[in-house]
Amino acid sequence: MSNPQASQNRYRADLREMKFLLFEQFRLGDVLGRAPFEAWGVDEASMVLDETYKFACEVLGPLNSTGDKSGCRLEGGRVLTPEGFKDAWTKLYEAGWKNVSVNPDWGGQGAPHALFALVEELLSGANTAFNMYPGLAHGAAEVIQLFGTDRQKSAFLPRLYGGQWGGTMCLTEPHAGSDVGSSRTTAKKLPDGRYQIRGTKIFISGGDHDMADNIVHLVLARVEGAPPGTKGLSLFIVPRLRVKDDGTIEGSNDVAVGSIEHKMGINGSATCVLNFGENDGCIGELVGEVENHGMAQMFKMMNGARIAVGVQGVAVASSAFLNALEYARDRKQGPSIDHWKDPTAPRVAIVEHADVRRMLLEMKAKVEGIRALIVKLALHQDMVHVHQGSDDQKAQYHQGQVDLLVPLVKAYGSDQAFRVCEMAIQTYGGAGYIKDYPVEQYCRDAKIFSIYEGTNHIQAMDLVGRKLAQRGGQNLQEFLGDVAAFVQKNQGHPTVGPYLAELGAAQEALAGTAMRMLTWFQTGRMAMVPLAANRFLEMMSAVAVGWLLLEGAVLASEKAASLPNDESSARDRAFYEGKRHAAAYYARHVLPEVRSHAEILGREDRSPLDIPTDAFASL
Amino acid sequence: MKILVALKRVADPDNANKVKIPASGEKIDTTGLEWKPNPFDEYALEAALRLTENGTQPKVRAGEVVVVTFGPKETETTLRAALATGADRAIRVDASDDKLDGDLVARALKALVEKEKPDVVLMGKQAVDGDSNQVGQILAELLDWPMATFAATIREEAGALLVGREVDGGVSTLRVKLPAVVTVDLRIVAPTSVYSTKTPSTHKYNDGVRFAALPAIMAAKKKPLVEVKLADLAPDQALKVSYHGFAAPPARKAGIKVKDVSELVSKLKNEAKVL
Repeated sequence: MSNPQASQNRYRADLREMKFLLFEQFRLGDVLGRAPFEAWGVDEASMVLDETYKFACEVLGPLNSTGDKSGCRLEGGRVLTPEGFKDAWTKLYEAGWKNVSVNPDWGGQGAPHALFALVEELLSGANTAFNMYPGLAHGAAEVIQLFGTDRQKSAFLPRLYGGQWGGTMCLTEPHAGSDVGSSRTTAKKLPDGRYQIRGTKIFISGGDHDMADNIVHLVLARVEGAPPGTKGLSLFIVPRLRVKDDGTIEGSNDVAVGSIEHKMGINGSATCVLNFGENDGCIGELVGEVENHGMAQMFKMMNGARIAVGVQGVAVASSAFLNALEYARDRKQGPSIDHWKDPTAPRVAIVEHADVRRMLLEMKAKVEGIRALIVKLALHQDMVHVHQGSDDQKAQYHQGQVDLLVPLVKAYGSDQAFRVCEMAIQTYGGAGYIKDYPVEQYCRDAKIFSIYEGTNHIQAMDLVGRKLAQRGGQNLQEFLGDVAAFVQKNQGHPTVGPYLAELGAAQEALAGTAMRMLTWFQTGRMAMVPLAANRFLEMMSAVAVGWLLLEGAVLASEKAASLPNDESSARDRAFYEGKRHAAAYYARHVLPEVRSHAEILGREDRSPLDIPTDAFASL
Repeated sequence: MKILVALKRVADPDNANKVKIPASGEKIDTTGLEWKPNPFDEYALEAALRLTENGTQPKVRAGEVVVVTFGPKETETTLRAALATGADRAIRVDASDDKLDGDLVARALKALVEKEKPDVVLMGKQAVDGDSNQVGQILAELLDWPMATFAATIREEAGALLVGREVDGGVSTLRVKLPAVVTVDLRIVAPTSVYSTKTPSTHKYNDGVRFAALPAIMAAKKKPLVEVKLADLAPDQALKVSYHGFAAPPARKAGIKVKDVSELVSKLKNEAKVL
């Protein structure tokens, strides 16, 4: 490295906060030590966070800005990743952090998703671009584990989970972005039951790299004669190099990298154009040997990937906040407002200034609230696992909440991540705009989160068009019921009680808007739905985040009250006080927006639809 | 080879400014502090692991590392972390931090060494809390074993260790016959500092101490961790060191401005009397 400054770790995470969520607020300890998490205890889970953070700071963090600066190169048809990535990949798989919650049958440790979500946050936060490569390998392996045949599992899983091979998901084509159904990649069945694949995929993250011996692409393609649209898509396992039945590598599979993109951010992640079968030599095998199930299978991967994007968002936003906080405590500028007329008054750290404090508290509240939502969602996934087969009703409830919360975590997590990063730059002032500090990169890296894995509008339409109506609307009713029960139970709480009126009002406004949208569906005013969808998603996310922050605050005030009243617990007391203030800020500054959104949507304004396209501008 | 590594937990050195001394000055208040393993002892553990493996196949153990600490129940966290890093067994000598001194710890370690019969006792050159730098030396004397302090390099030879010690004028190299006591300095974790007879001399380790890998964290739970009573190792628990008072360093006084160089020289000469 020519510039030692550039290879410094700048990643920061607040492990105390993570452990509060896992072990205090969400009481992970209650499910550890019992099936299916018998091998785990609080000590192990806690040690995993400590050690992953150490790994993230020492191995991945120093490569974040260097990878951004150098980017990836395409040479001789192969992608070369930034210096140090290959070594980090090897170390990551030696340490085993990607396999925390992989099924022990496939070499993992079977930990709860709630723990893995935070492990992923630490890895993504230290180096977002790097962590995409193993993240996609992991996602591809999960699809094969769920839907593959036994032979496919034994041929691909050990190598994908073990880091010998990478993986990708190939959906997007030049003509098929959000409109996946217009995909043109074809699959022609061969006499031996395999398929010949032809077509071009674009924006393929990790589409090629130099860190693994092979790359397993999961490719959506249409079998000859299959119906048009998404219903006719099948999912294929298409390795970069052909693989024999015993898993050994046979040779080229006619998968070529056409080019790599030059992007705004995540520059260490290679975004590839992939050409399959340019020379008619590309062979794929059908996942699970069933045709036309591609979308359903891919959706499984997409679900995991969408949660992972929310995690990426909170990961980067959290480090942006903590870096901004560090800077604000250090940077002196201007006197205290109490001496604003006195030019000789001592200069104070900018953290003393009201507007900086406002930004810091807003960042803290959003980061911690979204993280709580992610852990809540992951814990719902784990509870499905716990109850499956023994208590189907409970399993269904938890699965319903998973389905409902995925678009919230993806879209709200990514939208707010960008805003938090932008606010972190503002907190720094001019210094934040300069590459010497990490926040400008965070901001550039974070922008893609609202776009890939289904744009945030796709998420909003998934929420209002599919998820609200699932199980006859029961998922939403149960969500609203959980929030209402919390409000009811804690209304009289001495410190948090006063904020609960805000949450109650927001919950009612949300329920009212959901009813209004239902009438749009029923009365044929469908065009209103996409106009309102993003805002509705934001409203629902704010209710969920506000709820979990306030729940944390109730707990924090109980914990604070039980601390000995002396110097020894000053650290804990400050931590719990922080939880309360973050919740209070969110309740008073963000939750009222839910009511305001409800009012705006209630006016049913159609101006974006009514304005003639020619009238947008005179150009 | 069998190695006994003595580990001490210390108040997190990164938060040393949070150490408090009550007005009475009778002791240091440790409540509410975060604990970490003494960094030099972590380096000793890393050196011990390197000496009991072939560096090219770190998953296969080729020897045994037993870690020992003195302290209350919660010090087991430090031992579990050591087990997760690769140590094979752990022993906690139940004791209270303020009822120990270097002499008592060394006497108890001597009894433990006679029971465990390690080929080497490894530990940090000193703990970063008290900075006493005594236990290794006292222990070697009590055992009548050869000793090498401030080790920066260790190379295993048949029945001996070749130890490079960092001294003021350069490096002093000692060959110590086993069994021996070795205390380590920070450069012991450099990539080419430690070689067992099994590790090829071309091998380079990663710089620093190794990470605890996930499978090792899970396996650590199943590794033996036993508790031993201090009285069983050292029936005489009298302390040789007693502390009469603690005080925070005095706050620095503001400096003064001098007009010119000659005033500075005059003050240095006549007031500070350093010239």
